[in-house]
Amino acid sequence: MRKLIEFRNIVKSFDGQVVLKGVNLNIYENEFVTLLGPSGCGKTTLLRILAGFLEQDEGTVIFDGQCIDKVPPYRREINTVFQRYALFPHLNVYENIAFGLRIKKTGEDIINQKVSRMLSLVNLEGFEKRRVTKLSGGQQQRVAIARALVNEPNVLLLDEPLGALDLKLRKEMQRELKRIQQEVGITFIFVTHDQEEALTMSDKIVVMNAGEIEQIGTPLEIYNEPVNAYVARFIGESNIMDGIMKADYRVRFDDKDFECADFGFKQNEQVDVLIRPEDIRIVKPKEGVMRGEVKSVIFKGVHYELMVETRTGTKKTVKMHVVTQHDLSNPQTGEKISANDFYVDLEDLENNQIADHDFVSIANAQAWDEEDRDISLTHITHNIEKAPGEYSITFGTDKGTEVTVKVYVIHPEYVEDARHNIGISALDFFITADEIRDSMAISTDLKTWASAEAWNLQDDSSVEITDVRFDFDPAEVKEGTYDITFATRGREYKIETTAHHEVGDKVGLDFGPEDIHVMHKEVADV
Amino acid sequence: MEKKKSFWNFFTSGYLILVLLFIYLPILYVMVFSFNDSKSMTSFEGFSLQWYENMFNNREMLESIKTTVLVAVIATVVSTVMGTVAAIGLSKAKRIVRSIVLEINNLPVLNPDIVTAISLMLLFLSLKIRRSLVTLTLSHITFCIPYVILTVLPKLRQLDDNVAEAALDLGATPWKALTKVIIPQIYPAIFSGALIAFSMSFDDFVISFFTSGVDVQNISMYVYSMKRFNPSVNALSTLIVIVVTVILIMANLIPYLKDKKTNKGEQET
Amino acid sequence: MKSFFRMTYPYILWIGIFIVAPMLMILLYAVTRSGNSTLTFQFTLDNFAKFFSDPDFMKVLWTSLRIAFITTVFCILIGYPAALFIANLSERTQTLMVLLLTLPMWINMLLKTYAWRGILMNFDMESEVKVFIGMVYDFLPYMIIQIHTAIAKLDRELLTASYDLGANKWQSFLKVTLPLSVPGIISGITLVFLPAVSSFVIPKLLGGGNYVLIGNLIEKYFLVAGDWNFGSAISLIMALIIIGSMWLTKKIDRNAEEE
Repeated sequence: MRKLIEFRNIVKSFDGQVVLKGVNLNIYENEFVTLLGPSGCGKTTLLRILAGFLEQDEGTVIFDGQCIDKVPPYRREINTVFQRYALFPHLNVYENIAFGLRIKKTGEDIINQKVSRMLSLVNLEGFEKRRVTKLSGGQQQRVAIARALVNEPNVLLLDEPLGALDLKLRKEMQRELKRIQQEVGITFIFVTHDQEEALTMSDKIVVMNAGEIEQIGTPLEIYNEPVNAYVARFIGESNIMDGIMKADYRVRFDDKDFECADFGFKQNEQVDVLIRPEDIRIVKPKEGVMRGEVKSVIFKGVHYELMVETRTGTKKTVKMHVVTQHDLSNPQTGEKISANDFYVDLEDLENNQIADHDFVSIANAQAWDEEDRDISLTHITHNIEKAPGEYSITFGTDKGTEVTVKVYVIHPEYVEDARHNIGISALDFFITADEIRDSMAISTDLKTWASAEAWNLQDDSSVEITDVRFDFDPAEVKEGTYDITFATRGREYKIETTAHHEVGDKVGLDFGPEDIHVMHKEVADV
Repeated sequence: MEKKKSFWNFFTSGYLILVLLFIYLPILYVMVFSFNDSKSMTSFEGFSLQWYENMFNNREMLESIKTTVLVAVIATVVSTVMGTVAAIGLSKAKRIVRSIVLEINNLPVLNPDIVTAISLMLLFLSLKIRRSLVTLTLSHITFCIPYVILTVLPKLRQLDDNVAEAALDLGATPWKALTKVIIPQIYPAIFSGALIAFSMSFDDFVISFFTSGVDVQNISMYVYSMKRFNPSVNALSTLIVIVVTVILIMANLIPYLKDKKTNKGEQET
Repeated sequence: MKSFFRMTYPYILWIGIFIVAPMLMILLYAVTRSGNSTLTFQFTLDNFAKFFSDPDFMKVLWTSLRIAFITTVFCILIGYPAALFIANLSERTQTLMVLLLTLPMWINMLLKTYAWRGILMNFDMESEVKVFIGMVYDFLPYMIIQIHTAIAKLDRELLTASYDLGANKWQSFLKVTLPLSVPGIISGITLVFLPAVSSFVIPKLLGGGNYVLIGNLIEKYFLVAGDWNFGSAISLIMALIIIGSMWLTKKIDRNAEEE
């Protein structure tokens, strides 16, 4: 195949922001090439530089052996199908397609001939006289393709042309585009952020990220042999783990050594390990290379997508004291008020992380009138000191209805999980059965009542508590003491399977050496 | 190529400057000659403030300014209130009713001023109503309302119907929904409608000329009826230009400043 | 919904009295003989016959249409390039330019015309030319703003597409920008031609007493001659001409769109 286009070290920035950081890329004749990447990765910019709508800051574009940097767009043998089609609203279908030919002063009979041929290529015979604004998205798309192709360009550029279409039409147009490309036999350069589109249509995919090319390859190469975790995540579903290459064909991740098909890494090199969800088989707990518990099941049509937890997260268990109802009423005003005793972490007091109004939500203090309307608690008085001990706090309304509860300032034990760098803390708490029954989101409320929080030990950033476990029925809870366990996310594997499993099932996971793909760590951008 | 481009830029900005000069020529002209030491409108013979002094001593002229402002204020207030209320009603009306009312509403806008003017004059004459400050004000309200409606109604129709419905759903009464949800959203349109109404009334000549009494005249009528050329008009024009400029700059700047202020407020909290 | 509609009652009453009734009175006066009392009307079409049979009146009508037409043409010729150049400026400069163009529109037309009278006193020219300068001056900003609005809302990508298909800048202007800005030109014409036909102050102030357009004719019959019937007939003719041509341009505009 003949090399048709060569980008040499293309650099481009807008307002000081670098969009392309020295891109080198060769494109050959008759290829269907896809530039794939998230929005803002520079793919459209690269396309517009090739079309001549933008000028690069550095580098050269070679087209058919000639530098075209100074050639204006209207003299380039390249045509574009625009993102929003950019059809001329004042011209009908026929005149839109004939536009380029009329500019070249082509004879009327030749125009007629060529336009008809294009209309049949894109399956729009009989639409000549239609107004383009009255066409459907798919039809406009076809007119845009015909309008570009009628000029017989060497290269057709397509800038996310399917983005505006609905799913069904998009699939149809994907097939259609591929057919048209094979029929006219010219180079198509297609820009998209949709990995599925890229996989189905392309001969070659160029994966871009932040102004750079990450990987160039066939769809199969990109899917099966992604060069790094970025490409793996972008194309298809993936499980990516931190691992260490022990030796050739031997990688360690999740505390276990596995045989793999990869080699040529440094010994003990930190690597990313990829296992595609469809490559993991679910087996009986004892038969797999790993075992775990099904955390969620989502039906996806052809298959189920399971999340299986092979290692639980960091957890902390606290006591919930369910106490009897203790509303106080004020006979003079008809107001009622309630609040619970509560625990406070000494450290939070010392760091001034708790203000007076925070006590209202921790104590779940509320006041309401005879018609059940909420009343704000405007008066808060307490004798709490920054030392462990038992104190009291009084909440009151404007009209003088008051409730006093106990406050225990304690020094609770945190759970610190050094291996995974996670700390978690939660406090025992008092609550009434009514409050539990009235809760609309029990897990969230339990987190609030217990002041549960988790954090990263290294940088102190907050970590989500994904799991709240308890064994009472919120609708039927009675007075007494209950255990509540809060936990962060553990190691989870995403698995695609056609067999049905229930949440809570204990299962084994099985995969072989050929299912494991080891990748170099991405080099962080400086 | 670069040379061609810069020549083109030079040409286009030159052209635009010429157009602006043409548009501002009479304004600059009156401003300069308002400070002229002589009565001449052709040669500038030294700086003086005599025409400003003259203006403040000219009873007839001051009277006409007073009339103009009084009529404009009343017409603006009445037409803005009535027009906004009507526009809200119309936005919820049946299509056919709305389009008929709008056709009639558009008559004073489409009709030549002089036709509107004589039609109103015929009305007052036939009903044997003496033309006076009252008829003048009624006429001004009449030609101001259509502009208020034409400014407010499109904005109302852009509003998301669901927003008002959401307010009703959340327990607001229709009156609350109107004052707390609809009016705040169309406030800028009401404001610009009022601004247009004020300026239409302030600048009107033709309709005032036919509908006001012999003893009442606004600025336009005063200028029109002047027997001899009076440079005090230059002084008056200059003052009006300054006031209009300040108002327009404020009208354009206030939303911008407000935006900035709220942004700042958000950053602080 | 009913309660909302009640909000329009005061306004409907108002337009009934001050818009509909007065227009009906013009109609009534135009088709009756003078001197009728409140109870007896004598219907006649003499007023119209008088207007159309008198060459002097026809000349006035013709002059009004002619000067309005020339004013419109010049507004387009001067205004189109201005609108196009403004649309090519940066966003901020465009806003500023539009503001600069709108500002004089807020200033009393009588005062601006009066200023032109002062300026034109320095030159010795025909009164028609003076009237014509005053008219172009008064209406030019409307034309520029209408055309600019049409051009500014054009999708820039259409021009890019045109370059992509081989058209250079000039060809792209002729084949894309110009045809797509026609609606702006048409609404500019309605804002210039129609008021220009009925213009009344500018001819009077700049043309001197002997330069008569149709608006001045109406004034004369109402305020000097006191013949309301004939004055009403002329007004009706002018209103019909204007509403008729408005309807026509609307139709042309719509046809062009459906083409």
